[in-house]
Amino acid sequence: MRPFKHFLILPVTLCFTLVHGACAREPLAAETLTQETLTVPYPAHTVFIYDEAFNNEIDSRVVVFDADHQRRLGQIDSGYYPNVAVSPDHLEFAVATTYWSRGGHGTRSDVVEFWDLKTLRIKNEIVLPNTRLQGPPTLYHLAYSKDGKFLYSHALTPASSWTVVDLTSRKVVTDIDTDGCVQVIPSLNRRMTGICENGRLLSVTLDDSGHEQSRVQSDVFFDDSKDPVFIQAIPTDVGVAFLSHHGQVREVDLSSQDVRIKKSWSIIGAQDQQWRPGGTQMGAWHAGLHRFFVQMHIGKDGSHKDGGSEVWVFDTVSHNRVARFVIDTKRYGEVLATQVTSDRKPLLILATSQAKVLTLDAGSGQILHVKTELGQTPWYVVNP
Amino acid sequence: MTLDERINYLTERATRLLARSFSRRAMLSRFGLMLTGAAVLPLLPVRRGALAATVQQTDDPTHCDYWKYCAIDGFLCACCGGSSHSCPPGTDQSPITWIGTCHNPFDGRDYLMSYNDCCGKTSCGSCTCNRNEGEKPMYRLSLNNDVNWCLANDNPNYHCSVSVVLGVAEKP
Repeated sequence: MRPFKHFLILPVTLCFTLVHGACAREPLAAETLTQETLTVPYPAHTVFIYDEAFNNEIDSRVVVFDADHQRRLGQIDSGYYPNVAVSPDHLEFAVATTYWSRGGHGTRSDVVEFWDLKTLRIKNEIVLPNTRLQGPPTLYHLAYSKDGKFLYSHALTPASSWTVVDLTSRKVVTDIDTDGCVQVIPSLNRRMTGICENGRLLSVTLDDSGHEQSRVQSDVFFDDSKDPVFIQAIPTDVGVAFLSHHGQVREVDLSSQDVRIKKSWSIIGAQDQQWRPGGTQMGAWHAGLHRFFVQMHIGKDGSHKDGGSEVWVFDTVSHNRVARFVIDTKRYGEVLATQVTSDRKPLLILATSQAKVLTLDAGSGQILHVKTELGQTPWYVVNP
Repeated sequence: MTLDERINYLTERATRLLARSFSRRAMLSRFGLMLTGAAVLPLLPVRRGALAATVQQTDDPTHCDYWKYCAIDGFLCACCGGSSHSCPPGTDQSPITWIGTCHNPFDGRDYLMSYNDCCGKTSCGSCTCNRNEGEKPMYRLSLNNDVNWCLANDNPNYHCSVSVVLGVAEKP
């Protein structure tokens, strides 16, 4: 055997040595610099990772992330404390943000920028009054009307109001006083709903010119002195669900003229009294599979921003807990944000306090991937 | 509702109504009144800090578990060139603020606190602190620490947060 080995080694060695010689491959063809674009609408497993960039907030960004292939597809620059929304046709991404003329100082300019999701370039912008709400992200600081004709921007001066922008004339139409209510949840074609200190919902309906036509308050459905409700409304198939600090779920049906608040139910069982929901994006709802995912931690009053060590899964019809996904918090950090993709084979996307983005099988809870470097403080995940 | 809770509620309600009743166009008037409101707050009987007693607390103002920081969510100015009650050089105090009550384990008293942001420069980035005892969602604005309280400043860039003792919280 030994002579045969020597017989092979000689020519192979020569080929490696004489790379540019007779044994070398054909030279590479000259390359052409090209420009990537994305296919729109995005598939269900492509999500937006909202990076608050808390350590340098004037430079926040939203990362477009392919969760299947764990690829960063692109970036949307989003300025300071941005509020964001996806257009109803899923082709455009609105960013309401603030800039200064000299980086962190100089003349302030509040603006909403409209990004083309195919090219990831800014198509155009509309200047806002310098009153835009600046705070941690939610899905409802900024919203398109259902028919895409108006944009609603939450303002805080500290008086709370909704700035209505006409997307046809591309002008600010009016500013609607909310009597201290916050969030702007769109429904029907011209209705906005917010949550109020008095435990009610305020709904304002606009006329076709974008001005207030009527307003109505719901019945009282929570008492914030006993069990405050998180403002981070969670989208459902017919409206939104609100979650309280002590784990009460209030589903709100916004699909008809009457705003209907369903009977509350609890995610905290008799043996779970120390458990609490918390974080920045507490949970996500999958209407088709009737599942509600909530990040949970062992806490107490005042721990409502603590991230989760588990994700609990509930059946939205029976209200039974059907699974608990335990997260290794030492390895990954606490779960600050939970989102589920909307397709029939959904992924659960979790963002953690260690700035890791976990991709799980939403059915089994198995961690499929762990991704870092999607931002320094990924605090929200938005579906396409 | 106990007397404690009732007084507490009425006090916050009065503060909230004060803030809400301002015309949005009367900016100077509103901020003047907010300052006035802040000035009289130490006279009001507010008690909300019993929760803080359960936290292992220190007397080091560069640590998040310092007793005065029971409802700060942000960067500690004591790590940014200021102190627990002073803004770093070149930054501006926020004229409006959120309030709370912290328990001082070293003298056993509850203190009414004004939490102010220091503004006009980009994020300090040091000594992140996230404590939320008595903190409420944004619809209870005067008790909320999520909002950028630099919003009324000429330059509303958030830099860091301080916690200023307004006085001993009276117990009803």
